[in-house]
Amino acid sequence: MATPSIACIGIIGKHNNPLHISLFPPHSKDRLKFSFLLSSCIDIFEIRALNKTVDQDLGLLQAVDERLAMYGWLTNTGIKFIIVVDMEGRPVPGEISSGTAVTGLRGADLKPAFRAIQTAYIRLLQNPFYSPDDHTPLEIANNPLLKSSQITSKRFIDDMRRIGDAWAPGVTNI
Amino acid sequence: MSIDSVRPAITSGGTGSLSSDLQQTYLSSSCFDFLLIELVPMAYRLAVDVSTSSAVAAGLNPEEVLDEEERREAAFYKLDLLGYRVGQGLVERFSRDRPRFTDGLDAIKFLCKDLWTLVFRKQIDNLKTNHRGVYVLTDNSFRPFSRMSMESGGLALQRAQPFLWFPCGLIRGALSSMNINATVQAETSELPGATFQIKTVVNAKS
Repeated sequence: MATPSIACIGIIGKHNNPLHISLFPPHSKDRLKFSFLLSSCIDIFEIRALNKTVDQDLGLLQAVDERLAMYGWLTNTGIKFIIVVDMEGRPVPGEISSGTAVTGLRGADLKPAFRAIQTAYIRLLQNPFYSPDDHTPLEIANNPLLKSSQITSKRFIDDMRRIGDAWAPGVTNI
Repeated sequence: MSIDSVRPAITSGGTGSLSSDLQQTYLSSSCFDFLLIELVPMAYRLAVDVSTSSAVAAGLNPEEVLDEEERREAAFYKLDLLGYRVGQGLVERFSRDRPRFTDGLDAIKFLCKDLWTLVFRKQIDNLKTNHRGVYVLTDNSFRPFSRMSMESGGLALQRAQPFLWFPCGLIRGALSSMNINATVQAETSELPGATFQIKTVVNAKS
C-alpha cells in the first residue's frame, strides 16, 4: 500500500516571485511541470486572501488529478508556501505499483510540514546575508549582479529537502 | 527572542528541533542597549572609512572628502537600511502565531504593542491617526534616550537625532513586511520623548 508523500515544495514571495522549488522522487525531473502547477495556485491564494480573517493554513487549494493535490499556507507577511502531495507516494523497491491512490488525506496532516517550512524561512530571514528585497522582480531587473529570484542559502535548501523526505501522513514532528 | 528577567533553565537534549531552538534564545538587555547606542557612532565611522578609502584610491586628500552634511547623510542611509532589514526579520518571526492583520491600523497596533515591547521593552504611549494613512506614534520615554542628559537643550536634541534613524528604518522595514509602504520621520522636542510620524503610501491595488 502506497503512502502519500510530498512531490514538491514551492515558496512564492509576496510579489508572486518564485523563491524556491524543491522536487522529490519520482518527480525530480518535472521542474517545468511543477513550476506551472505552482503558478496555477497563485490565483487561488489571491481569492482566499480576500477573506481578511483567513487562517494561515489554507488547506487544500486544488487537486490536479487523482494523484496530485496542492495545499497552501499564506503567512501574515504575504509569503506563500505550497506543498504538492503525491497520493501514490514514492515507489517502493521490489513492489509493483498498484496504481491505486490513497484518498482521504486530512488537511491537518500537512500542518507540521508547513510549520517546519515557516521555521526554516524565518531562520533564513535571520541570516544577515540574505536580503529579501534582492529577490523581487524589480530589483533583479535593475541590478545586473542578481540573476535569479531563487533562494541560494544551502541551509534553507537542505531544510526543504529534509522536510520533504521526512513528511508522511501522521508525522507530527519534523 | 525574549528579554524576560527569568533565566531559562538549560534544557537537556542539546539543539533539539528547529522550533524549540527559536523560542529558547535569550539576550542580555544591557548588551542590547549598548549595541543600539554603539550603532550610531559605528555608522559615522563607517561612512568616513568608506569615503576615505575611495578618496585615497582616487588620489584625493582624505581629510577633505566629506563635510558634516555628507557624513550625516551617509550615516543616516546606513542606519536606515540596517533598521529596515531588522524590521523585516522581526515581523517575519513574531507575526507567525498571530491572527492575520485585518487592516493598516491593526498592523500599526502590532508595531506599537508587540514589536516596540520586544525592541524597547515598553509600548508606544500614544497613537494618533487621521484615518487617511498618517499615524503619529508618541513615546514619552524612548528607551535609547532614557540615559541621555546634557546642559543646553538645543544641542542635546540635535545630538540625539541620529539615534532616531535606526528606529525609523525599523518601523519602515516592519511595515513593508506587512505590505505597507510608508515614509517615517522622527523627531524629539524634549528628551527622553520621541515622536514618529508614519505616512503610508497607498498602493494602487488594495
